[in-house]
Amino acid sequence: MTHDPFTVLGLEPRFDVDLAAAEVRHRELSRALHPDRYQGKPAAERRMALERAIEVNAAWRALRDPVTRAEALLAAGGVELDERAEPKASPALLMEMMELQEELAEVRGKRDAAGLRRLGEALRTRERELCARLAPAFAAARGDAARLRALLPAVGELRYLRRFFEAYAAAEEELAA
Amino acid sequence: MAYSDKVVEHYENPRNVGTLDKNDPAVGTGLVGAPACGDVMRLQIKVDDGGVITDAKFKTFGCGSAIASSSLATEWLKGKTLGEAETIKNTQIVEELNLPPVKIHCSVLAEDAIKSAIADFRSKQAARRALGAEPVAADTAAAHAGK
Repeated sequence: MTHDPFTVLGLEPRFDVDLAAAEVRHRELSRALHPDRYQGKPAAERRMALERAIEVNAAWRALRDPVTRAEALLAAGGVELDERAEPKASPALLMEMMELQEELAEVRGKRDAAGLRRLGEALRTRERELCARLAPAFAAARGDAARLRALLPAVGELRYLRRFFEAYAAAEEELAA
Repeated sequence: MAYSDKVVEHYENPRNVGTLDKNDPAVGTGLVGAPACGDVMRLQIKVDDGGVITDAKFKTFGCGSAIASSSLATEWLKGKTLGEAETIKNTQIVEELNLPPVKIHCSVLAEDAIKSAIADFRSKQAARRALGAEPVAADTAAAHAGK
């Protein structure tokens, strides 16, 4: 993407972005850029509108997910996202993630829908709390690369949580079937 | 993205999935994660008195390439001495599984897991040797633990 998702949607770059406002912007822009509106226009203009529409969709997707939202803020502040250079997670966090994944596999195996829901809710709460801590930290960093880099471990934790939610969604689907 | 046949094969029939007793002094446990994607990998080795790895188990929560990398690693580890195990390089895993560039970090994770399992085993052994060399009276040990 050439532009960061906040710029694309015309929003202030902040971690606790107003997602409802972002969704409205996405809808407005998508409507304005709809191919129907460009019928009969020159090919170059049609192509540009299509490219913009794709960019707008990608921006909305990026903002909705806390991980990609954080990554956009890091990138805008000049923090390079190199997987080899990322700080390693603390052993305690890894242990916890391993145990949570094992617990998930267990409730999935037992087809324990209530247990699955409980686990999912606990992790959602945890993700919300982590995001609530990250929002003021991003604001305080004011785009400074060194201060943003200090947030990498927390962003890493968000990614471990996201991996968990992926497995969770698969388990949910399986139990619903 | 298309996985290579070997990745799919390991993914569908992972070798040595499971757990060894992490409190067993003969067992070394490596727990590593990839912060860039959120994969977690646990790799355990059981080492006999001659320093030969007699068993290896893994559990990986992550993508197919991460599962295949750790599955392959446990296969390779069995029967190797610790010294030989240490020489396993992520590039060998990449080669064997035909991992594409975006999945190289999965092989790095497996190499890290091997190294950290060996390090864990060695530090356990060193701790035991230290205890053996300097027997600590039970009451002194209790007093230390209580501090």
